[in-house]
Amino acid sequence: MSTVEKPSAARFVGARVQRREDPRLLSGHGQYIDDVRLPGMLHATFVRSPLARARIVAIDLEHALAVPGVVAIWDGSALNGDAATPLWDWAGEGTPFPEVRALAEGDVRFAGDPVAIVIARDRYVAEDAAELVDVEYEPLQAVVGRELAEASTGRAHDGIDTNVAWSAASPTDPALEAAFAASAHVITETFRQQRHVNVPMEPRGLVAHWERGAEQLTVYASSQNPHQDREYFARVMGLPEHHVRVIMRDVGGGFGQKIFRTREETAVALASRRLGRPVKWIEDRQENLMAANHARDEQMTLRVGVDADGVITAIHASHLADVGAYPLMPAMMPGFMALEVLPGPYRFARYGWAGKSVFTNTSGISAYRGPWMMETVAREIMMDVVAREIGVDPAEIRRRNVIQTEDLPYTTPTGREYDRISPAQTLEAALEEIGYERFREEQARARAEGRYLGLGISTYIEPTAGAQGPTGIEAATVRVEPSGKVNVLMGTGSHGHSLETTMVQVVADQLGVPIEDVRLLQGDTAVSPYGGGTAGSRSAVIAGGVARISAIKLREKVLELAGHLLEAAAADLEIEDGTITVKGSPGSSIAFADVARIAYYDPSRLPEGMEPGLESTSRYSAPPATYANSTQVCTCEVDVATGEVRLLDYVVGEDCGVMINPMVVEGQIAGGVAQGIGGALLEHLAYDETGNPLAITFKDYLLPTTEDVPDIRYVHVETPSNTPGGHKGVGEGGAIGAPAAIVNAVADALAPLGVRVTSQPLSPDRVLAMIDDARSA
Amino acid sequence: MKAAPFDYAAPTEVDEALALLDEFAEDAKVLAGGQSLVPLLALRMSRFDQLVDVNRIEALRGIELVGETLVIGAMTRQATIERDEEVRRHAPLLAEATRYIGHFQIRNRGTIGGSIAHADPTAEYPAIALTLGAEVEVASVRGRRRIDAGELLESAYTTTLEPEELLLSVRVPVWGARSGFAVHEIARRTGDFALVGGAAAVTLDEADAVARAHVVLFGVADRAIRLSSLEAAIAGQPVDQLDLAELAREATAELRPPSDVQATGAYRRRVAAPLTERLLRTAFVRARRAGDPTEEAAR
Repeated sequence: MSTVEKPSAARFVGARVQRREDPRLLSGHGQYIDDVRLPGMLHATFVRSPLARARIVAIDLEHALAVPGVVAIWDGSALNGDAATPLWDWAGEGTPFPEVRALAEGDVRFAGDPVAIVIARDRYVAEDAAELVDVEYEPLQAVVGRELAEASTGRAHDGIDTNVAWSAASPTDPALEAAFAASAHVITETFRQQRHVNVPMEPRGLVAHWERGAEQLTVYASSQNPHQDREYFARVMGLPEHHVRVIMRDVGGGFGQKIFRTREETAVALASRRLGRPVKWIEDRQENLMAANHARDEQMTLRVGVDADGVITAIHASHLADVGAYPLMPAMMPGFMALEVLPGPYRFARYGWAGKSVFTNTSGISAYRGPWMMETVAREIMMDVVAREIGVDPAEIRRRNVIQTEDLPYTTPTGREYDRISPAQTLEAALEEIGYERFREEQARARAEGRYLGLGISTYIEPTAGAQGPTGIEAATVRVEPSGKVNVLMGTGSHGHSLETTMVQVVADQLGVPIEDVRLLQGDTAVSPYGGGTAGSRSAVIAGGVARISAIKLREKVLELAGHLLEAAAADLEIEDGTITVKGSPGSSIAFADVARIAYYDPSRLPEGMEPGLESTSRYSAPPATYANSTQVCTCEVDVATGEVRLLDYVVGEDCGVMINPMVVEGQIAGGVAQGIGGALLEHLAYDETGNPLAITFKDYLLPTTEDVPDIRYVHVETPSNTPGGHKGVGEGGAIGAPAAIVNAVADALAPLGVRVTSQPLSPDRVLAMIDDARSA
Repeated sequence: MKAAPFDYAAPTEVDEALALLDEFAEDAKVLAGGQSLVPLLALRMSRFDQLVDVNRIEALRGIELVGETLVIGAMTRQATIERDEEVRRHAPLLAEATRYIGHFQIRNRGTIGGSIAHADPTAEYPAIALTLGAEVEVASVRGRRRIDAGELLESAYTTTLEPEELLLSVRVPVWGARSGFAVHEIARRTGDFALVGGAAAVTLDEADAVARAHVVLFGVADRAIRLSSLEAAIAGQPVDQLDLAELAREATAELRPPSDVQATGAYRRRVAAPLTERLLRTAFVRARRAGDPTEEAAR
């Protein structure tokens, strides 16, 4: 394996540098949407449908408009026409898509569908008035339930005479069927995953400010990608892109929910333009749980063929997703991504797939940390099912199938090309750290005492930094100011993922300056170069890569100028801690700050032809994907009298290439694992059969707390990628791997009772029901 | 998620508060620690014209042993009760149960009077009041009265308090020698409302027979309930001869607990039995230990 050359003075990359954004955030000085206060600012709230599917018969605004302090109320027929285009449209050949408008018009299609926007002097008044908007509905049959939608006599959308949003399958493959026929065992099982919500701590929100004189829309966005927001608002509002500015300050998490701008945000921007005043909307938690986009809600059926030793011979995967009424991404995405990534860390040649997505009268689906992760849920739970069925240890069956270093480069049956990965190493590292053999002994002793302990393994390859279209490139402007202090301008944003620390680490190393002398400016389309923002675990690879490229370019100029001033060759110079020295001649040196001052103020001292100033802008186009790999292992105890599950120990073995900051890497993993624990044990945005959401406060939508998340131990393997810094993404793996590890641990604990666990969340009542079912079977 | 408009008063004397309650009656609501009321107002699931904030009434705070009764001011914070030495000594069950209430941030604001008056069927304090045989003292402009916890709790979120009445204090009787207690909950997460919870208080006689027993479950009905048939079945019986598993199963077989998104009613009934058994087992062990002079000295 090749190693990536570290910078000559790598003091920061690889170190647990304290987060530079923390003093601001932890002392309450973060700047979130609700901290934005502009002169003359108004507040918006929405009247939402209480029904999943209904005709709007009449809307009476009279009483609501009479509330003192109300400025305007518009329903869909009044406001939607201000948009220049449908808000988004994923229709294609064989993939119908509804017309997406800011507000419902004529009918409503999920409980929470925005029917009218109320603008008032404050949010209290807006909500008082919203209560008084009188909407008469004629209920229609709602389409609810992933497995019921296709056959439902109801239609999720007017004008689309099917609830099937997408359906596709791989071509019939006789070789696949032959492989199944030749397998010693063929095992089929269906795995289900319930509807989740991303639940960022800061819900959706924005302040939109239409400035009449400048004909400019300024949006303070709680977003993951300000430049794509700029493009979005320009398009839907019919504005030239240079008359839109998007400012993204601190963002309280998004986890995918804030990649795409939504109907409510669009309505607020349209309202601001009508009124010529700033309008704020900050979603409350009930709205977020009910009407912000949801995730998961899918199932996968796997047919797996293995030989007598448990070596996989063939897999067929079939996926079904409920994408809700107005998915934010193409309806094919959950299924297509999951099916395409499914081969994961294992060697096998024969693979077939089928996928289907259905519209329902529920909140639309968007991305959520590892939006394809059903592949790991299904595959890894299936590995344990197969192992138990054929009597092979679950660690051993993975060893027999996992891709080894000597297999590389390796191309999956779906055409993904792996190189520089280490799934066998992270598997072994995690098993060793948790003490696999010792646990098996402890488990046997506990069983003899009537206690049920279990261990679960989840192994996966994480495709990171997917680079296509708007997310293909990233840019960095590195600017040494005349005093020698350094501003780095990037199209990224402050999102909780530590870029103000990690990007600065990368640049400070290359320029050889103290870390305090470097600052990242990001999240403002008027300031920073175009960037793809945050999604798909791309920041370390693409943003980190370009920060490095741009800093190296500037370093060359600094050294050229310094060499000229010191009458030495640039190649003979080194920069350390803000001083440039001729190697071997400590007396011959110049301060970095002096070089900067001369570059700006004393052009006569520059070498012939050198442009004044010290600034470089680079753009980096990343490879289509960069692969990280990981194994999560956890242990648990199940109380078979009450069905309660308690996690005992948790280990993650991870290879995300060269780590910029191991503390940040571990933070990313920990956050994802916590979300996976939530999904496996707690979280469920359930709907009743009429489409009424049942978990729209935190009393019912249960997130894991610190008491539910065990201390996590980490083992790092660093196999550099072939990108500039050797980094790989690590943003989603924690969430991808955790549910299967936990489900497998519970299933392992209950294996003596004959329980097979195929769905989540593992609430106490469901655990007891599974035990009962197994006993009565 | 903003409350509908209301008027707000924050009296410093009980009489002022009673006058306000008399004036506004069912249009008024007492604001104690606010841990349930404020979310209900913000969600507009409850609305009142007048809030009477009793947080500034000093006379409603404090813990005092009066004879054989622990008198706890209605506005005493849960966090205070959790740490109070008198409570630990004279009503250890109350201290132990407090740890199940939410998280410490909630207990720093939440009060005993507020919790009992709110009468959440899954809440700890109404159930503990019932288990220990506590009374509440209430007042209106027309005078004061005491209500037994069993008479107070009417149904979900409903008590026999009149709208004009203010809960002044909770009067917890001190259980005597050879008494033991237990409390436990099954919840989705630490600090959540109980799916099923229970508490037991028992006193043993010199022969280790059951002299007195109160066994209470919560989360299984529209209010905390005593398992009277179980209490009667074990009264006077030697502890060692009780088939607790069977008794608990019989005592919980007729329960019809509610279903919700967190658990089915069938689940709640099913786990009520092992929970009840566990409560009694623990309470008996502790009662014996409480009667053992060497154990007493060790404490």
